[in-house]
Amino acid sequence: MEFLKDLIFLINYLLQGTGVTLGVTLIALSTGFLFGTLLAVLRVYGSKPVARFAAVYSTLIRAVPVVVIIFILFFVIASIVDLSPFLSGALALGFASAAYQSEVFRGAILSVPAGQMMAARAIGMSRLKAISYIILPQAIRLAIPPWSNEAAIVLKDSSLVFVIGVPEILRRAQYVSARTLEPFIAFSAAAAIYFIMTFLVNRGLDFFERRYRILM
Amino acid sequence: MKRRSSMLILLVIGVLLVAGCQQQPAAPAEGYLSTIKEKGTLVAGTSADYPPYESVDPSGNFVGFDIDLITEIGKRMGVEVEVKDMAFDALIAAVQEKKVDVVIAAMQASPEREEKVDFSIPYHFQKDAFIVAGDSTLVLNSPLDAAGHSIGVQTGTIQEKWVLDNLVPKGTAEDQIFRYERVDQGALDVSAGRVEILFINADPAQKLADDLGLKVALVTSETVIGGQSIALPEGEAALKAELDKYITELEEEGFIQQLQEKWGIP
Repeated sequence: MEFLKDLIFLINYLLQGTGVTLGVTLIALSTGFLFGTLLAVLRVYGSKPVARFAAVYSTLIRAVPVVVIIFILFFVIASIVDLSPFLSGALALGFASAAYQSEVFRGAILSVPAGQMMAARAIGMSRLKAISYIILPQAIRLAIPPWSNEAAIVLKDSSLVFVIGVPEILRRAQYVSARTLEPFIAFSAAAAIYFIMTFLVNRGLDFFERRYRILM
Repeated sequence: MKRRSSMLILLVIGVLLVAGCQQQPAAPAEGYLSTIKEKGTLVAGTSADYPPYESVDPSGNFVGFDIDLITEIGKRMGVEVEVKDMAFDALIAAVQEKKVDVVIAAMQASPEREEKVDFSIPYHFQKDAFIVAGDSTLVLNSPLDAAGHSIGVQTGTIQEKWVLDNLVPKGTAEDQIFRYERVDQGALDVSAGRVEILFINADPAQKLADDLGLKVALVTSETVIGGQSIALPEGEAALKAELDKYITELEEEGFIQQLQEKWGIP
């Protein structure tokens, strides 16, 4: 009975960190989505230097561990512009995710048949118009399956923001583990919460994938 | 398209300019101390996974010896104290970048750390402990007897450095050193038999050993370089003087002694 009471308390305590985890994930994913799509478009349709910049960004960021990006953003960049640890962490994850997402979207853009761009241009659409009304709507739908993979990774990577002091689920589990010296229970509970969240997110994205599937 | 790349260059130049402006040294005599008093809060960085010095209680408050001490110091300085928790490894960088005003995290003033930040006078001197498994036959008469045995330490600590400087030349191989993010992880590995010795600060050692059925093989001050101090940004003499003053005061009044008894710290 005592054990059960402790467990309920523990889960309740960890759940208070889900808000932070979800907040970080949401900001990171949307930053990554906007920036990643932009990078992908620039890489495929941009002028040479711009495409080059997008490619270098993606290569560079993907080569650096996410924790390092968090530290750089928090200790170097956030000393210039005032950013809270929460925002620095979330944006750092977002910039990292942008690199991965740009690869996802680049692949998706390239898999839209090139003839569509030519056709759009032939009926008088500008390049920008063709990209935003013809290419991207299809590319984004094609990108849903690999994107849901990225979403799960970002959700779990959100645990990294604890290094700069954002008390999300994992950090809370560490508090409990340090206090009670029972890491197994504390971390299993955290793992269970992560599992449920990832499961729900992926289920949701599966739904979108079916709903917006392109039948070719 | 050409316009876009030149805008990018402009953006980069803009960022660099802003960065350049930050360099302005506008330090009055009081320096950072007056900034703290002006904003009315002292932001204290810590790593709240190290009871009894700092931890988080079930209702989510920061508690511990260090927390009580810095709260009292803040009270005497006439400012509120705000505790900010982060990973231990990030603390020095945080105080360098003034993300926090001071760091109180059972931290010792090592020469390497002294290069990056300043330290108050020590508020507590401590000992180190070697923990072994409950059924271990290992006898340690001096710290150097640990050479050649597998040993666990917390990363980034004075103990880790001591092992590298003193045990490695005496025959401890690099792959016999196990580095843990937190001491309780190391203690669990000792109890599981993966590591022979855990070398940590003596204060949490007895409780840790009791909880997991381990024994403390040796408590020593031979390995200790300095006491625990509060870290503050480099060159802030006025702030250091203020901290030193209150630490001395609290020491003389017996407040620190009371705190040690309250938290069971030797």
